[in-house]
Amino acid sequence: MTPVEQAFSTSGVLAKVLNGYSPRQAQIDMAIEVELAIENQSSLVAEAGTGTGKTFAYLLPALLSEKKVIVSTGTKNLQEQLFHKDIPLLRKAMATKAQMALLKGRANYLCLYRLALYQQERGQLDAQSLADFVKVQSWSTATHTGDIGELVDVAEDSQIFPFVTSTVDNCLAKDCPNIDDCYLVKARKKAIDADVVVVNHHLFFADMALKDTGFGELIPKADVVVFDEAHQIPDIASEYFGDAFSTRQILELCSDVLQLYRTELTDVKQLGKAAEKLQKTAMEFRLLFPHDPGRGNWREKIQLPRIHRSFENIKTDLDFLYQVLKLCISRSEAIDNCFERAVATLSKYDIMANVEQFGMSFWYETTRRHVVLHLTPLSVADKFSDYITQSNAGWIFTSATIAVNGGFEHFTEQLGISSANTLLVDSPFDYLHQSQLIVPRYLPDAQNPARANALAEIAIPLIEASKGACFMLFTSYRMLNLVADLLAERIDNSLLVQGQMSKRKMLDEFIENESAVLLATASFWEGVDVRGDKLTCVIIDKLPFASPDDPMLQARSEDARRQGGDPFQDIQLPQAVIALKQGVGRLIRDVSDQGIMVICDDRLVNRPYGQVFLSSLPDMKRSRDTYAAEQFLANLHQVNNQ
Amino acid sequence: MMNTHVMFYLLEDQEKHNIPLDNLHACFQAANFYRQNQRVFIYTDSQEQAHQIDELLWSFDPNSFVPHNLLGEGQKNGSAVEISWQAPTNRRQVLINLTSTVPNFAQQYSNIIDFVPNDEKLKELARARFKQYRQLGFQVDNQAAAPVKTK
Repeated sequence: MTPVEQAFSTSGVLAKVLNGYSPRQAQIDMAIEVELAIENQSSLVAEAGTGTGKTFAYLLPALLSEKKVIVSTGTKNLQEQLFHKDIPLLRKAMATKAQMALLKGRANYLCLYRLALYQQERGQLDAQSLADFVKVQSWSTATHTGDIGELVDVAEDSQIFPFVTSTVDNCLAKDCPNIDDCYLVKARKKAIDADVVVVNHHLFFADMALKDTGFGELIPKADVVVFDEAHQIPDIASEYFGDAFSTRQILELCSDVLQLYRTELTDVKQLGKAAEKLQKTAMEFRLLFPHDPGRGNWREKIQLPRIHRSFENIKTDLDFLYQVLKLCISRSEAIDNCFERAVATLSKYDIMANVEQFGMSFWYETTRRHVVLHLTPLSVADKFSDYITQSNAGWIFTSATIAVNGGFEHFTEQLGISSANTLLVDSPFDYLHQSQLIVPRYLPDAQNPARANALAEIAIPLIEASKGACFMLFTSYRMLNLVADLLAERIDNSLLVQGQMSKRKMLDEFIENESAVLLATASFWEGVDVRGDKLTCVIIDKLPFASPDDPMLQARSEDARRQGGDPFQDIQLPQAVIALKQGVGRLIRDVSDQGIMVICDDRLVNRPYGQVFLSSLPDMKRSRDTYAAEQFLANLHQVNNQ
Repeated sequence: MMNTHVMFYLLEDQEKHNIPLDNLHACFQAANFYRQNQRVFIYTDSQEQAHQIDELLWSFDPNSFVPHNLLGEGQKNGSAVEISWQAPTNRRQVLINLTSTVPNFAQQYSNIIDFVPNDEKLKELARARFKQYRQLGFQVDNQAAAPVKTK
C-alpha cells in the first residue's frame, strides 16, 4: 500500500477524523492519479462529479508529498472552506507542522495609507457609508490580518471599501509610508513562506502574468499547483494575458488627483481643472453606450464617428492631465504615483486605439457606470504550456464540470496541455431518482412575442408546487424583465430580481424568505450553494449558449476556424454544456437532495447536438411533461413538510 | 410513379410488456432510419399517443439519441423525426403509421412502416390496411419484430 492508499483506508487518516468514513474507490482512484502527477511533475485533468470528495482526493496526496503546494479556487466559498475547514482537519489528523496561508486579492485588504488619507479628507458620505466608515475605523485598530472579510457587519458591496483598500493603480508600493505595516505585503510574505497556500484563480493568473507589483514571486516557488473549479481557467487566463483600459481607472485617478489638489497641492489650480475635465469626458464616453450593461466588438465600435471623437477627447484630456502632473513631480509620493498612473493609462490608451494588432480580440464591456476596453489574445495555449513546462511542478486541474461527451480536448487544447493525463470520476448520486430534466412541449420560439407569456405559464404552477424553492434563469435581461413583470402581476410570492439588489443579498433573501422566487441571468448560478428543499426547481429560458456577438466567443471562434476547426462544435457547444452541467450541480448538492430542471428550449430535443448535452449531463430522468414535474415537486414538498 | 415499400412488423403479445409495443417499435424504427439519414414522420391516432412517442424517444439512452419534434414545435421544417396525429406539413421519405387506417397521404413516402399487434381485433384492422396498401400498388412485406425486454 502506498502512503496515499493507506491514508484513504479504514485505518488511515480520513477514518480518524471523519465520522462514519468508508473508503470509496472513485476518490482513491483520483488521489492515486494526483499522487502520480505530483511525483512525475506532470499534469492531470480530472472531472469529479459532485459528491465524490475531490477536495480530499487532492489535498491528502498534496500534503503527504511535503512539497510546497498552491491551491487555487474559483469562488470565495470554496477558498474559505478549504482554509478554515478542510486543510485544518487534515493537518490535525496528519499531525503535520505544514504552515498554511490564505492569500486573497488586493481588494480584500485594508490599506492603511488610504484609510489615513480618507480620514483627513472625507468626501461626501451618505448615512450608510458614514456608519460603515466608523465600523472600519474601529476594526482597523484591532485587526491582525487586515482582511475586510472580518467586517461581517459591513455589506460586501459597501461604498466605503474602495476608499480604504488599494488597487494596482493607486498603490504606492515601495514608496508608501506605511509599507512596513502593509497588510497585503504581510499576507504575501506569509504566503511565500507557507507550505500550503490557498489563492483564487484571479490572483494566481495576476501573479503568473506579473500583473501586480511584488507578483511573480509566489508561483515559481510551488512544487504542486491544484486548480479546483478549473473549468473557469481558460477564460481567466485569457483575461490576464490580455490588457484592459477602463473609465473606472480614469475616474479613480481623477478623484485621487482632486483629493491631493484639495489637501496638499492647492496652489496648482490647473490640477483641479485638468482632473475635472477628464472626469467629465470619461463620463460622457460612457453615455455613448446603451444604458443597460453589455458587451461588443471594440474594433467595430471605434469606427463610429461619435465614439471615435469622444475616445479622442479622452486622449486630449488625459494628455493635459499628464502635462500638469509632470510639473508636480517630487512634491509628494502620492502625486508621483498619480503621475505614474497617468503614464500607464496613456500607454494603455494607445493599445486600445491601435485596433489593427493581429491575433488579438478587441472588445468592450459596459457596467452601469463604466466602460472597459479589453484586449484578449485569441489563444493562451502557447504561453500557458511554456509556463507549465518550465515550472518543474505537478499540475492538477479539477472540477465537477470539465468533460464534454466524456472528453477533455476542448479544455486541454485551450490551455495547451494536450499531454495531460485525464480522469473522469462519476458522482455517487442517484440522479435518475433524485432529479428530472424537463423540456416543455410546444414552446413559442425565441422571436415569438408570445414567448414571455408562455414561460410565465410554465413557471407559475411549478413555483406553486415548489412553494417558491425555485430559480428562474435567463440568457437575456430583456426576457428576465418581461417574465418578472408577468409574474409580479400573477403570483403573490416575492420576486428577487437580478439588477435590483446585490447577488449576496438576493441569495440571503432567497434562503430567509420561504416563498421568494429568484430571477437572474444564467451566469448567476456559478458558486451558488443552496442545499436541501430550499431549491428544488431550476427553470432556464434557453440553452446557455454564449450570445453570438459575445466578443470573447467571436475571438475564440476566429481562432478555431484558423486552425481548421468548427467553432460551434469546438467552442460554443462545450461552453454551453459546461454551463448547463454547472446548473445541474447547483440543484443536486447532496445524496438526499431532489429536484427538477426545466429547460425551456426544445433545441435540446430536436437538434442532433442534443446528444452531446445528454451524454455530458448526469443521467437524470427525462420527461417533457410539465404536469408530471409539478406532481413530483408537490409530492416532494408535501413529504418534506411532514 | 414512386415505388413505395411497406413493411409490417408482427408484434409479440402485449401482456408481457408495460409499454405499448407498437409505440416502442415505432421509436426503434425511427432511430434506425435517422441513423441512415432518412427523415421520418410518425403518424399517431391521437395527441396523447403522439406525446407518448415523444416521451419515449426523449427517454432513450443518450447514445441512441433521436432528434425529434411534435408537429407545431421546433424548426420550420421539423427535425429528423416528426410526430403528429395530424397530416404532415412537409415531405419526408419514411412514414411510420400507428393509426388503424391507411392515411390518404401514404403515397408521398418511399418507405412505410406498419404493425400487426398480437390481438385478434387489431389484427383484423391490420389485414385491412395490408390489402389497401396492395391496392395502392405498394410492395408489401412482413416480418417478426425483434423481441424486446421491457420492465
